Amino acid sequence: MNIIVLVKQVPDPEALVEIAASGKDLNIEPKFAINLFDEFALEEALRLKEKHGGSVKAIGLGGPKAIEALRTAIAMGADEAVLIEDESFAARDGYDTAFVLSRALQKEAFDIILSGRQAIDRDRAEVPQMVAQFLGLPHVGVIVKLDVADGKATAESALEGVAEVIEVGLPAIFTAQKGLNEPRVPLITGVMKAMKVQIPRVTLTDLGVSKDAGQKTSVLRYLPPKKRPAVQFIEGEPAQAAREIVRILADVERAI
Amino acid sequence: MNFAFTEEQEFFKKIVTDTVDRMVVPKAREIDEKDEFPWELWKDFTKLGYLGLRYPEEIGGMNADPVTAMIFYEQIARGSVGFAQSVIMNILMGTNFVYRFGSDAIKERCLYPAMRGEKVTTMCFTEDQSGSDLSATRTTAVKDGNEWIINGTKMWITNGPVADFATVLATTDLSLGAKGLNFFLVEKGTPGFSPGQVLDKLGCRGTVTGELVFDNVRIPEENLLGSEINKGIEYLGEILDEVRVMTGAMAMGIAQAAYDEGLEYARKRIAFGKPIGSYQLIRAKFADMATEMEASRLLIYSAAWKMKEKLPSRIEAAMAKMFATETCCKVVDEVTRIWGANAFANEYNPARHFRDARFLLYGGGTHEILKDFMGRLLIGKA
Repeated sequence: MNIIVLVKQVPDPEALVEIAASGKDLNIEPKFAINLFDEFALEEALRLKEKHGGSVKAIGLGGPKAIEALRTAIAMGADEAVLIEDESFAARDGYDTAFVLSRALQKEAFDIILSGRQAIDRDRAEVPQMVAQFLGLPHVGVIVKLDVADGKATAESALEGVAEVIEVGLPAIFTAQKGLNEPRVPLITGVMKAMKVQIPRVTLTDLGVSKDAGQKTSVLRYLPPKKRPAVQFIEGEPAQAAREIVRILADVERAI
Repeated sequence: MNFAFTEEQEFFKKIVTDTVDRMVVPKAREIDEKDEFPWELWKDFTKLGYLGLRYPEEIGGMNADPVTAMIFYEQIARGSVGFAQSVIMNILMGTNFVYRFGSDAIKERCLYPAMRGEKVTTMCFTEDQSGSDLSATRTTAVKDGNEWIINGTKMWITNGPVADFATVLATTDLSLGAKGLNFFLVEKGTPGFSPGQVLDKLGCRGTVTGELVFDNVRIPEENLLGSEINKGIEYLGEILDEVRVMTGAMAMGIAQAAYDEGLEYARKRIAFGKPIGSYQLIRAKFADMATEMEASRLLIYSAAWKMKEKLPSRIEAAMAKMFATETCCKVVDEVTRIWGANAFANEYNPARHFRDARFLLYGGGTHEILKDFMGRLLIGKA
């Protein structure tokens, strides 16, 4: 079974983010991490490989620094990785990203594509679905369980208050939700392999894609988040305070 | 001139940082509170294979150069210095002479299991009347046929109470001073070898530290760890730089952990309607801390680089240890000021960092001794 995992490098969740003076860019502290949800995807791919044999390949798209996320994939146990190297993708849209990824995927043989349900930087949750569309493949999103047998997969998708069990023929694309698994901590043998490995880099030209292939949306400006209102302290005995809270929630805020 | 880590070292740092964040940081407070050897974490962490960091790949190690090793020491100490000390003992001091001089049988029995975390190890220098002054070592080794008989008591032994084997410094002739010193391998279960008092320490809790007693301990001839007799002090010289720079790296781990706590607090704590990080006196603290930490790291990693290149590094290693540790003590102090009274509560981390930092003042050589040592090398025999 050949599994491909789409891996994105994102700013570290603790990196400082500020809106640039122009309002059109973000200044992000250069600390990076592998996208949390992609780690679940990677772990699931590795578990499927351990169960069914085959190989796991990680594909990333981004600037040269993104190689670190791919090395992490190798350290965890992926057999190979490739970086589609193009710095400009930090600022390009999901459609464009999905288009380029699908071009790269057309050159690959695979049974399953896995990725995180969303990247934790822009939170759009759109790329895997569009990749599925470009490749004409079925997509099952936000999965918390995945079993494969006889050329078919059974996935469990977490919905509000209910779990949906979906059967789908392979090849197909799945996006990983928290709860799917607990990603492994890399062993030193994996880390050493990852430190030495030469990860191939391809360009958009190699994929036969022009720079302005398909961006459909553009960011006009960034706005700072609304300031949270001050904390309101409610005085008094617990029972009295609780009554006051209910009154505020029901009558003032109309939240309940 | 190039001050950057290689891409591989950057990656290693990232992986070790993440691993420590996931496995060690969440346990740090519990380790400190319980002050017991953290067996569960030990088993989980050592499974990853880091204990073979310095040894060749052929025997299951990573063959890490000193720069890469320092990255590891710094990060693991950032997680929990109590845990780091036990881990680093197995990586460096506790196994070094077993690796260099142990017979194949000894390596099978001691080194390889220690690299896998199946055995805990230690090295014993200090006694009640000797620490930096190793020439005053009173533990004796007397040859009797094809055995050595060890007698004496060691103090302040990291991992001592739980160690499966120990590299023990002992003299074959009390009149020879430093020139009579040798290293011997003593394994748990050898009659006469027993743990004594366990110390209740201010910091670095979770590393169990204590006394080891050697009462007519008979060990085979091959347990002398050295190719020649009475060369112990020379062999020690071969890892002294590494031990000192490692101590500096651990200091930076503690300093970074404290600094990060300080940073978060300065950004969130409101006083007079603004985050305290917006006030100049708090900002000045961060400028000073960051400057001295950067300077410490330059000393640590340039000394490690010299070691990697086999260049002389004796003074540089002492400088790195001393400067980084003094910086660490300043940083943990400043962070307790930034946190105000909250730093005085044991339920928060700054109190732990403040206590932990103190130990590095003594481990790896007191700064009084190091200054004297450096001064002597710099001035020459005046």
